[in-house]
Amino acid sequence: MTPAAASRTPPSKNIAPVALGGKATAQRGMRMTLPRRSPTRFLVPAAMLALWETLSRLGLLDPQFVPGLADSLAAALDMTRRAFLLTHAMVSLARVALALGLALLAGVPLAFSLGHAWPGAFRFLEPLLRVLGQINPYCLFPVFVVVFGLGEAAKISVLAWVALWPIFFGTLAGLGDLDPVLARAARGMGAGKASVFLKVAIPAASPSIFAGARTGVQMAFFILIAAEMTGATAGLGWLVHNAGAMFQVPRIYGAGLVIVALGLGLNRFLVFLDRGLFFWRASGPGQDGLPRPGPLALALALAAALIVLAIGLIGMARAESLLNDPSVVPEYRVWTE
Amino acid sequence: MKRIGGFFGDSFYRFGSIVLFVLAWQTLCSTGLAPGTFVASPAVIAETLAKWAVNGFLARHGLISLSRALYGFLLAVAVGVPLGFLLGGWFKAAGRILDPLLKFLGQFNPFALFSVFMLIFGLGETSKVAMIFWVSLWPILHNASLGVRTVDPLFVKLARSLGLSRPRILWRIVVPSSAPYLFSGLRQASGTAFFMLIPAEMLGAARGLGWLIINAQINYQIPQLYAGTAIIVAIGLAIDALFRFLEGQVVRWREKAAV
Repeated sequence: MTPAAASRTPPSKNIAPVALGGKATAQRGMRMTLPRRSPTRFLVPAAMLALWETLSRLGLLDPQFVPGLADSLAAALDMTRRAFLLTHAMVSLARVALALGLALLAGVPLAFSLGHAWPGAFRFLEPLLRVLGQINPYCLFPVFVVVFGLGEAAKISVLAWVALWPIFFGTLAGLGDLDPVLARAARGMGAGKASVFLKVAIPAASPSIFAGARTGVQMAFFILIAAEMTGATAGLGWLVHNAGAMFQVPRIYGAGLVIVALGLGLNRFLVFLDRGLFFWRASGPGQDGLPRPGPLALALALAAALIVLAIGLIGMARAESLLNDPSVVPEYRVWTE
Repeated sequence: MKRIGGFFGDSFYRFGSIVLFVLAWQTLCSTGLAPGTFVASPAVIAETLAKWAVNGFLARHGLISLSRALYGFLLAVAVGVPLGFLLGGWFKAAGRILDPLLKFLGQFNPFALFSVFMLIFGLGETSKVAMIFWVSLWPILHNASLGVRTVDPLFVKLARSLGLSRPRILWRIVVPSSAPYLFSGLRQASGTAFFMLIPAEMLGAARGLGWLIINAQINYQIPQLYAGTAIIVAIGLAIDALFRFLEGQVVRWREKAAV
């Protein structure tokens, strides 16, 4: 979905139809029939993977096109040992994280100022913002390169553009959902404008900001892989592309598996944060019957994320030398003509 | 929010900011503040588009992109809606078991898969259509099954006690009450389909708007690059507007039917 369109349908699906004029029945039915999470949820994906491996062992899949799971994993392991696969993964993650940070820094204040302070200006600017949100920044990549240079800044600003719109429109949606009674009650109890903003508006909007950030991260990660496939010299997308160019089929699948796992892990991490941070949220990931993570678990998770980010940043700075390192076998090296 | 009435006030709010933006952009370009080496002015873009429209370039590449998006999308509708209805309504247990798998598959990075699609289906149309099918399938499937699950069971029970046959229950109750979900899924999917098609065409195609863009990128043809981007934005907005319109029609009809 386009970033703008994605955000206009609130990511928590149970809001959308109600906003569309759906009846209260939709909400009632929702609560009754939402599936509970169970431990069996890992069984089906595991069974799929086992089926894949079995079919390829039985010779039903042509190994030229579909290698088995074991071969793919072996290729991934080989790339880990000989081509710094993990560093590539962390470089990709660091790019996404930096882009997310930039998008949050730009999108949240913009949405607050337009949605909270100057609604008139917002009404005037909204059509333009929608048009801008439709721009696929990946198309204008050369322009970003001219403006920001050939390095990481161009890539990161493309990703930040992708992530910006879900965050911006998500924040606006959160402000729109703010119960005016709460704001008035706080005012009535003697809170000033600033403290209403800090203690009512921001907490009320933060789950929506976070939901927008989740969509933004997912979109940015999708586009990142595409961008790395065409224009990068490091990162997982580059590894897949390189493997494709060399017709190293198991390696395509191996790097692909790592990308998929990383995307899933990223999403789980954000759901985990969502559940831990926004305990006051009425609906959403917190309502699935799982216990909410405590402050210790949250702190540990954030620390782990920071470590990964730091390694990614170092890897990013050294990407070129990393790939032309003599310890990397020639077939994994960047073409330097 | 207070509305300024009348045609003028309305179009002021609808187009004012866009017109101002384009005018400012043109001014910056004509005064030379934005160098022509990396910013094409709106006039240049319009000129390029007119040239493309006349020599049939636009129709050829635009139509091929649209048809790829359309085929993939229609295929996803044909698979996703019935499957979502079946999993959400008829085989609830299967739906519950498969739900994690479907969510899991839906989060797959389409570009990691695109390499595999290219490998299996080759450089032809199939790989692009398969990729669009893949990215549109999940929102459609998910929303169809969600829509069926949120049908008020009271209505179904009532219909059953009134002696309605199963096909009629499906058509008179299940489809109308899940329609808002369904359309929200279709709109999401249509946006995603077109958004993802462009990078896919940039990675592996010899025709289409994505190819146009990558060609302009490689040859550093700034006017063509901006013109291609403008067309993609226009098509994206048009698709979004179309599905919004359809959604509005369906929701209105549903409200009337429900009263």
